[in-house]
Amino acid sequence: MSGGVLGVALRRIGVSLPLVFLVSVLVFVVLRLIPADPVAMSVPPNATRAEIEALRAEMGLTLPIHEQFWIWFAKAAGADFGKSIAFAQPVSRLIGQALPATIELVVVAAVFATIIGLAGGLLMYRVAGGRGEAASDLASTLIMSIPEFLWAIFFILLFGVALNILPFTGRLDAGITVGRITGFLLVDTLIQGRFGAFLNALSHLLLPSMSLALGTAPLLMRVLRSSLMEVGNEDYMMMARLRGFSERRVLVHHAFKNAFLPTLNLMGVQFSFLFGGTLLVEVIYSYPGLGSLMVQAVANTDLPVIQGVALVYAVAVLLINLGVDLAALMLNPKLRIAK
Amino acid sequence: MKALLEIQGVVVTAPVGGGRVAVLRDIDLSVKPGGVLGLVGESGAGKSMIGRLVGGVLPPAFRVDRGAMIFAERDLIGMPAAERRGLLGREIGFIPQQPMTSLNPVRNVGSLFDEHLAKLGVAGRAERRAQAVAALEAVHLPEPASLLGRYAHELSGGMCQRVLIAMAFASRPKLLVADEPTTALDVITQARIVALLGDLCRQYGTAVLFVTHDLRLAAQICDEIAVMYAGEVVERAPARDLLSTPRHPYSQALRSCSPSLDGPLARLVSLPEHMPGLGALAGMAGCRFAPRCPIADHRCAGHAPPLAENAPGRWVRAAGQCLSAALPARGDVPHGKGDAEGGGRLALAAEGLHKTFVSRHPLLFWKKRRVDAVKNVSFRLRAGEFLGIVGQSGSGKSTVARMLLGLEVPSAGRIALDGADVTGRFSAHAAERTKRIQMIFQDPQSALNPRRRVASIVTQPMEVVGRSAWPERLARAKKLLAETGLAPEMAERFPAQLSGGQRQRVNIARSLCNTPRVLVADEIVSGLDVSVQAQILNLLADLRDHHEIALVLISHDLSVVRYLCDRVIVMYRGEAVEEGETEAVFRSPRHWYTKALLAAVPPDDVNHVWDPHTASSALSRLDPAIES
Amino acid sequence: MSRSQPAAGQAGAVPAPRRRASLRPWRRAIVGGAIVATIMLVAIFAPLLAPYDPNEQDLLNQLLPPVWAGGNWDHPLGTDNLGRDTLSRLIYGSRVAMIVAVAAASGALVLGTALAIVAGYFGGIVDWIVSRLVELWLCFPPVVLSLILIVGFGVGLRNVILAIILVDWTRFCRVVRAEVLVVRRNDYIDAARLAGFSHWRTIRREVLPAVAPLILTILSLEMGIAVIVEAILSFVGMSVESTIPAWGVMIADARKDMYQAVWGLVLPILAIIVTVLGFNLLGDGLRRALDPKLRQRVIQ
Repeated sequence: MSGGVLGVALRRIGVSLPLVFLVSVLVFVVLRLIPADPVAMSVPPNATRAEIEALRAEMGLTLPIHEQFWIWFAKAAGADFGKSIAFAQPVSRLIGQALPATIELVVVAAVFATIIGLAGGLLMYRVAGGRGEAASDLASTLIMSIPEFLWAIFFILLFGVALNILPFTGRLDAGITVGRITGFLLVDTLIQGRFGAFLNALSHLLLPSMSLALGTAPLLMRVLRSSLMEVGNEDYMMMARLRGFSERRVLVHHAFKNAFLPTLNLMGVQFSFLFGGTLLVEVIYSYPGLGSLMVQAVANTDLPVIQGVALVYAVAVLLINLGVDLAALMLNPKLRIAK
Repeated sequence: MKALLEIQGVVVTAPVGGGRVAVLRDIDLSVKPGGVLGLVGESGAGKSMIGRLVGGVLPPAFRVDRGAMIFAERDLIGMPAAERRGLLGREIGFIPQQPMTSLNPVRNVGSLFDEHLAKLGVAGRAERRAQAVAALEAVHLPEPASLLGRYAHELSGGMCQRVLIAMAFASRPKLLVADEPTTALDVITQARIVALLGDLCRQYGTAVLFVTHDLRLAAQICDEIAVMYAGEVVERAPARDLLSTPRHPYSQALRSCSPSLDGPLARLVSLPEHMPGLGALAGMAGCRFAPRCPIADHRCAGHAPPLAENAPGRWVRAAGQCLSAALPARGDVPHGKGDAEGGGRLALAAEGLHKTFVSRHPLLFWKKRRVDAVKNVSFRLRAGEFLGIVGQSGSGKSTVARMLLGLEVPSAGRIALDGADVTGRFSAHAAERTKRIQMIFQDPQSALNPRRRVASIVTQPMEVVGRSAWPERLARAKKLLAETGLAPEMAERFPAQLSGGQRQRVNIARSLCNTPRVLVADEIVSGLDVSVQAQILNLLADLRDHHEIALVLISHDLSVVRYLCDRVIVMYRGEAVEEGETEAVFRSPRHWYTKALLAAVPPDDVNHVWDPHTASSALSRLDPAIES
Repeated sequence: MSRSQPAAGQAGAVPAPRRRASLRPWRRAIVGGAIVATIMLVAIFAPLLAPYDPNEQDLLNQLLPPVWAGGNWDHPLGTDNLGRDTLSRLIYGSRVAMIVAVAAASGALVLGTALAIVAGYFGGIVDWIVSRLVELWLCFPPVVLSLILIVGFGVGLRNVILAIILVDWTRFCRVVRAEVLVVRRNDYIDAARLAGFSHWRTIRREVLPAVAPLILTILSLEMGIAVIVEAILSFVGMSVESTIPAWGVMIADARKDMYQAVWGLVLPILAIIVTVLGFNLLGDGLRRALDPKLRQRVIQ
C-alpha cells in the first residue's frame, strides 16, 4: 500500500512544479503592466537621460519581455531575485530575514485555528437540534463576518491598550536580543536555554496568531459540524451500533475520521488564506515578517521585492496544499488507488 | 419448543403533525431456535423497522409505546441500554441491506474485525488476527490474510457482504437479523449469499429473521412467513402454504402482481395507488389495506381487525369478506405474441455496435485509459415489437440504450431509424431522432426537473418545435396524462408532489409526447415496489395494444422481460451472448451464462425445489473470474 | 435497485397540498436584507444625509469624541485628527464599499459562472483547462494577488473593482462548477436533449435555474468579501484616491491616534462588520430558504 501512497505523492509533487512556473509567469506579466517606471524611482531626480538609459540597460529592461522573463526566472530559480530598489539590499537577504518570522506566526496561528475549529465544530454538533443551535449558528455567522485584520485591531485595543496585559508590537520587547540561529525565535530561545526570552516571544505571538486563527476557524467549525451530521446517517454508523458499540466509541472510532476528511480538504484552502492574512496582521502588529516587507515594497513600488515575495507566497501556498493533500492521502484510502 | 425471540403486541409510534401515529401496530411474531422467519412486504410496510426495533436503533422520536420483546427469556425493551449492547454483535447478529456502505470506508477489514473480536473478549492481537483469517476463510473469501489490509471500496458488494457475514458469525449468534441482505446484489451473487447464509445457520443452529420484498425467495428459504402491510402483520403462515395459497387479499395481490419465470402468463394484478405514508396512517381507523383492497366492504372501516388463527398455524388479519371472496379473476396473456415476426416494418436496426470508453487522467489529460463497454452488438426491431436486453450491472446494456438514443456516440457500428442512418453525434440527426425514438429513464426522481410542473415536463418537446402556445401544450399534456392513467389535475403539480409510481407515469407520458416509433426503457421498474411495478408493466402492455410502438426494455429482472418482451438479448461483459424468442430462450437456454441467470431466480411453483447452491456453483465452475 | 425505506412514512411522497407560505425560513435573509438595504440607501442618499462635506477640515475641533463619550451634537460621532466629521465620512465611505460590493461581486459572478458552466457542462478539455486555471489562481492568497494587481493597474475605484473581479472569480467558478457537475448527472438534462433542446437552450432552461439559488448565495457572500478586500486595500493606501473617503482609510488614519481617540477607530470597524454581517446573513438566509438541499452545506 505504501508504494501506492508514494506514487500518488510523487505525482502530486510533479504537478506542482509546472504550477510554480506558471505562477512566476503570472507575477512577471502583471507587474509589467505597471504604469510607473521603476527606473525613474530609483535614480535621483536630477539624473540625465543617459544615466537613466544606462540603468535601464543594467536592469535588463531594454531586452524583449520574454528574454527579460527568462533571465529573471533563471535567477529566481537560484533564489536570486535581484536587488531591492528601496532597501538597496539583495531581495533574497530581505526575504531570508522575514520568512522565519512569518512561518512562525503562521504555524502558531494554524495550531490555534485547528484547535478552535475542531473543538467548536464538535460543540456545534453537540448543540445541534436543540435550543443552542440557533445561538451557535448566529455566533459563527457573526465571527465569520469579522476579518482577521479587524480582530487584530480589536485585540490591540482590548488587551494592549485597555487592559494592557499583552504586548502588541514586534517579536520581542525592546531590551531583549536573541542570537540568530534558525530565525525562529521560539526555537532559537530554547536552543540557547533562555526561557524568559521564549515566553516573551510567545507573548508577542499570542495576539497576532489569535487574530489570524479567529479569521480562519469559523468555517472549519461549520464544515466539521455539517460533515459530522452527514456521517451520522451513513450505513456503517448504523452497522457499528448494531454490533453493540457504545455511542462514544461510534463517534470517536467510526464517525470522526470520516467527518474530518472534508474538514482537512478545507484546511488547505483556509491555511493559504491564513498565509495571506499575515500581510495586514503583520503590518498592524509591526511584526517584521514577509507581509510587512510586501506592504513596504508595494508602497515604494519596489518591483524586485514584490516579485520575490509574491513568488515565495505562492510557493508557500503550494507547499501547504501539498502537505494537506499528503495528509488526506494518509487518512483516506480511497485516494490511494494509483489512477 | 420455546421461542427464541417473542415479539408480543408491540406498538411503535412516531410524531406526525400534533399527535403520534402507530408505525408498527400490534406486532406479534416469534422465532424458534434455529428457525427462519421471513418478513415480507413492500417498502414502507415496516419490516425493516422490526429489524431496527430488535437492534434498538429506532429513528429519532420513534418510541415503543406498548408490548414486550422477549429474547432468550429477557425483555429487550425494558433492558438497560448497556446490557442490550452486550447482546448485539454477540448473541444477535445483523446483516445489512447495503454491504458496501456498511463497512467504514476509512478502516480496513482487519481493523474492523480486530475491534469486533476485541469487543467479544478475544485477547491478544495475534489471536484476533488468526481468528479473523479463519472467519473469512469460512465464508469462502479468497486470500483471507491479504483481505485484512483492504478497504470496502476495493471489494465487490458480494465480498463486502461476506465480510459482514463472517463478522456476524464470529460469535456464533443465536439470532441473525438479515435486512434485505441480497437486494443490492445481482441475482447470481444473491443466490450465493443465500446459500452461504443457509449453510452457516444450519452449522451453528442460528435462527434468522429474514426481511425481504421477494415472496418467492422467502418461500424457498424460510420456515414461516409474515406478510406486512402499513405497519401491521396481515398474514402469518408456513412459508410454502403462504406462497401456494395466500389468504389475505394483500398476500394474494403480492403474489400475483409480480411476474414469474415459470407457469402461464397472466395479466398482473395491479393494486391502485400506493402504500399509505406516515401522514395518511393517522386518519385510518379500520383496516389499513381497505383503500386499495378490491373486495373491501363496509365491515372493513371502523375498527382494526385482529390477527386471528383460522387454521392450524395460519393467522390472518381479516375483516369483511377477506376469507370468503377471492380477488377478481385476472385477464389473459397481456399481448398477442407471434405477429411480431409477421414482417412488420423495420423500426430500428443496430449493426455491430461497439463502445470504448476513454477516461482521462485527472491531472494529465493526455494520459488515457480504455474500457470496452460494448462489443459488437447487433439487432433489429420491428414496429410493435418488444425487445428485452438482460444482463447484470456493468454488462453494457445501459450503454447500448444510450447509443441508440444518441447520448453516446458508438466507437464503431451503425444505427438506423426507420431506414434513416442516424449514426454519430446527437446534434447531427437531432430532428430525426427526437421524432422517432425516445427514452424512458430509470430514475424518475432524476429524470424530472423538480422546478417544472408536470404539464411543462410532459410537453417539453413542444417547447422547441414551433414554440406551441401554452393552452395547446396544456391540452396535449392532459391527453398524455389520461393515456398514462393520471388524473388531469396532476398537470399543475411539481414532481415532488407525486408518488414514485406517478412520477414514473409522468416519465412515460413525456416519452410519448412526440408519438415516437421506438421507446427505450432503461430499468424503469427496478426502483418501484412490486404492486406499483405491476401498474407500470401493465401500462406498457396497454400502450402496445393501442399504438404501433416498439420497445427496447433493458432490465436485470428476467421475469419482467418474460412478461413483456417477444425477443430477448442476454448481455455479458459487453457482448450479446444469446438472442432469441423469449419463451424459447428461457425454456431451453444454450449459453452457460443464461443458464446461470435463470437458475438463480427462485421459482413461482413451491413444489419446484430451488437450491441456491446449484445456481451458484454451476457458474463458478464455468467462469471462475466472476465475482464471489 | 429497490432500497426499502426504514420508516413507514417515507414510502412514496404524500401528494401534499401546496404548502402554506411561511416566513420562518426567510427570517435570516430578511434581517440581512434589511441591513444591506439600509446601507445601500445611506450610500445613495449620502449627500442628503451627511451633515458635513467629508473632506471639510476643522482644525479647531480635532479628535472630538462622540456625543456619548463627552462630545457635542455638532459632530455626533466626533471628528478625526484633521477635524473632519466622522459621521459624514462614515456615510460617504459607504458609497465606496457599496459600489465595490455590487460591481466587483457581479463581475466575479459573470466571469466565474460563465467559465464554471462551460467547464462543468461540456467537460473534457475545457474543464481541464478551467480547473487548472483555478488551481493556478489558488496558489496566491487573495490579498497578495489583489495587491499585485493594484500595483500593476494603479490605484482608483475602477482598478480596485477590476482587481477584485480578477481575484475572486475563482470562488464562483469552483463552487458553481461542482454544482453543475451534480446537476449534469441528472437524467433530466439528457431528457431535455432528447426533447430536441440545443446545448444553449438546455443550459439556459435546465442548468441555470438549478444552480441559481447557489449563485445568489455566493453573490451575497462575495459582496461581503469585496467590502473586506476594499477595506484592506484602502487600509494600506492601495485603493481609491486619497480625496475619496473610505472606511479602510479611516481605520488607517485613526490607528495613529488610538490612545487619544479610540472611537475614531472603533466606528469604521463597526461599519465594516455590520455591512459584512448583513451580506453574510442574507447569503446564509438565501441558502436556507431557497434550497433545502443546501441547508446543511457550507459554502466556502
